[in-house]
Amino acid sequence: MTARLRLDFWTGVLLFAFAVVAALLAWPLSTILAASFVDNRTGAATLGNYARVLFQPFFQTALVNSMIVGFGGMLGAMALGVPLAVLTTRYVIRGRDFLATLAVLALVSPPFIGAYAWIMMLGRNGFVRLALEDFGVPVPPIYGLFGILLVFSLKFYPFVFLLTASSLRTINPAIEEAAEGLGAGAWRRFWKVTLPLVFPAVSAGALLTFVLSIADFGTPAIVGGRLRVLATTAYNLFTSEMTGNPGLASATSMVLIVMSMIVVALQRWAVGRRNVAGTLVRKPVPKRLGFAASVAAHLVCYGVVLASCLPSLVVIYTSFRKTSGPVFQPGFGLDSYERILREIPHVIGNSAVYSLTSVALIVVAGTLIGYILARRESPLAGALDGALLVPYIVPGVVLGLAFVVTFNVKPLELTGTATIIVLMLFIRRLPYAVRSSAAILKQIRGSIEEAAVSLGAAPGRAFLKITLPLMVPGVVAGALMSFITAINELSSSLILYVGRTMTMPVRIYLSVLDGEFGTAAALSTILLVASGLAVYAVFWVSGRNENAFV
Amino acid sequence: MARVDLQHISKSYPGVKALDDVDLVVESGEFFTLLGPSGCGKTTLLRTVAGFHAHDSGQILVDGARIDHVPAHRRNIGMVYQDYAIFPHMTVADNVAFGLVMRGRPRSEIAERVARVLDLVQLGGHAKRMPHELSGGQQQRVALARAMVINPQILLMDEPLSNLDAKLRVELREEIRDLQRSLGITTIYVTHDQEEALVISDRICVMHQGRVHQVGNPSAIYTRPGTVFVASFIGAMNLVPDVPMGAGGEIGLGGGGQRIAALAGRARVTLAIRPEDVALRAGGDGAIVLNGAVDKATYAGREALYRIACDGGVKVLANVYRPDLAGMEGVGARVSVALPISRLHFFDPADGGRIEAGP
Repeated sequence: MTARLRLDFWTGVLLFAFAVVAALLAWPLSTILAASFVDNRTGAATLGNYARVLFQPFFQTALVNSMIVGFGGMLGAMALGVPLAVLTTRYVIRGRDFLATLAVLALVSPPFIGAYAWIMMLGRNGFVRLALEDFGVPVPPIYGLFGILLVFSLKFYPFVFLLTASSLRTINPAIEEAAEGLGAGAWRRFWKVTLPLVFPAVSAGALLTFVLSIADFGTPAIVGGRLRVLATTAYNLFTSEMTGNPGLASATSMVLIVMSMIVVALQRWAVGRRNVAGTLVRKPVPKRLGFAASVAAHLVCYGVVLASCLPSLVVIYTSFRKTSGPVFQPGFGLDSYERILREIPHVIGNSAVYSLTSVALIVVAGTLIGYILARRESPLAGALDGALLVPYIVPGVVLGLAFVVTFNVKPLELTGTATIIVLMLFIRRLPYAVRSSAAILKQIRGSIEEAAVSLGAAPGRAFLKITLPLMVPGVVAGALMSFITAINELSSSLILYVGRTMTMPVRIYLSVLDGEFGTAAALSTILLVASGLAVYAVFWVSGRNENAFV
Repeated sequence: MARVDLQHISKSYPGVKALDDVDLVVESGEFFTLLGPSGCGKTTLLRTVAGFHAHDSGQILVDGARIDHVPAHRRNIGMVYQDYAIFPHMTVADNVAFGLVMRGRPRSEIAERVARVLDLVQLGGHAKRMPHELSGGQQQRVALARAMVINPQILLMDEPLSNLDAKLRVELREEIRDLQRSLGITTIYVTHDQEEALVISDRICVMHQGRVHQVGNPSAIYTRPGTVFVASFIGAMNLVPDVPMGAGGEIGLGGGGQRIAALAGRARVTLAIRPEDVALRAGGDGAIVLNGAVDKATYAGREALYRIACDGGVKVLANVYRPDLAGMEGVGARVSVALPISRLHFFDPADGGRIEAGP
């Protein structure tokens, strides 16, 4: 047993994983990194692109706006998510599971649906706005910063809510009782004991919200009006025929990545110094509130959750309105659905095929790589774990740009193919599946697999016969989550698609820009139903665990 | 049944010597226990035999044939784990049958052997149960049956009783011992519980910091500890370090005058005696006598446990049998303690090794 590096099955998986990371992350990202240092006209090496992004007022505005949108979305999500978590875990709230389910549904609905549903309500011709104006209440259209923050807060608060609630549920009530016994009143107890204990969860949710907010393309593009953020600026710089500038787009992208990295590093640093893992002896019991307080608590909880579901309801309602071309008519009908089935059936097919194909690849690769991370501790596995953090912080627009720049020359000329979209979905969502399979493996004791080996099963066979069957619930939940995010993916697909490979989210985005709200609503409803079914399936396999979604 | 030969096994992790030149022979059919505190290397050694750890140097032979390069799944070694490691998605019968299925045995033979071994571990009626329906003790019986049904050359057990409550632990350890004897399987057993090791083993190997300190049968380990570590780890022991010695082997403790020829020429020794060998009496030939005051007195039914602070600073534990007959001494009472020479153990203060004092 002196040979250290045996070329067994798992070594092969490790090599494969590194090949994937090199081809689909390292190469494209290094390509745009290199491009960011190239002058667009002369082709010479330059720092000019960064100088413009950081110092030219046009870009500075976008940079500042991205920060405002990131921190604003984060604070908004926390302002909604933390109180909801505290109320639903500490006090008796009727229909708690119902609220959590609705929050999950709000979470899995595509963000741009929220953006355009709010436009239908509060945009220039929004029916809510017009109705209020009839009553003499003037409401300004929501285009701009306010609209973006409204959409982000209502879209991303479930991350904070679900993570914080699950953390609150694992605090041993004896700790809070001890604080009370030592003389801390309810308010001080919350600030001094409870909040620090759930800080890792709250900050993890906040971080996720920040990263998703600055990376989001659809929302600022649809509801932002003239407000430019880095994500939309990079997209325009790249796609605009007249003023296209890949070097500048690349530099903008790098700035976006660095912003995410800084916030991730800050959160890790802040959480790293607190190890608050406790032992749960008994579960916290929700308290009963007095009548008035209880009514107020219910109003807050249901208000937040229903507001976040409002866009989906508006979309579903709109999809069943009677239309004639792009114009709505009085009454209801299936016109919009007929129209998409007649005009763009391939879009629905594309979405289904791309997301299912990428999910199949993700499940196989994610399960095997998750196994390596959980069971084979080595410097290489550690490096792989680190590399797989990258897709978390690289916005879809950026990775989309990187793919286009990288894979448009022979022999890997993939631009315009279905393959490039599937590969993109694969690498963007692979880390989630790796995480979930590694997490479930950590709950399966290694001795079980060892016992199988000592009873005569070769390592590969022991994995197949013993470990894999035990992993199935986690793997299936991870696959469904990947499916939900893959079928709703907009930003990278928007850069990679051609007419032939258009997907539902892309078509929805284009329809919204064209004012074809009926088509957009019908397609969105199909996405919502697909996502809802997947959520139901996750609940079914994971025994109603909302945290499968965050 | 097989004889296991471990020759000069060493294994290092960064900064730690997990196994330091371990050289052992486990005889065929023997119940052999690796005993030591956590981190002593006993589990590492066991897993090396099982094939789950690669060692840096040395050889493992089973019946004279090297198995170092045989992968774990072809070693034909049964293993029982502390956390049972029962396959949670399989019935009791399927768990037990697993090794036979892997060996491609015919179905009729599997059914017959599984039924027989389940009867052996008193789980005859539980074949169709799922593991979560069983108690911890029953699960460990399943693990035992699963390991034994393949007729392994060697049976390895890694603290199999640690997760069970005290009463069950005693019950199951008797069962394991009886089964092992009747089947005659060479067994290597790991535990940190010295009482368990003494009761269950044919021979014990005491390990500390990756090194073998002593190998012997339970009574040898208890009555003639080979090193200071063994003396302090097994049972209770009074240790008096750095006792000065006269040139002719006179022990510089108590009144002096007690002389041991074998110790002549040593400047200092570490002296040890078990509390049950200490007597509460003033005189007597062939004993070191110390005077002191009772520091702590505990009544424990069959015996009284005293701690005596002796003049000169040494504290001595003494167990006195039948305190109901002898009467209890109160705290603060002046007493004399006698340390019979024949009951003393001596160790070299430099390397901790035992010094044989007489016949």
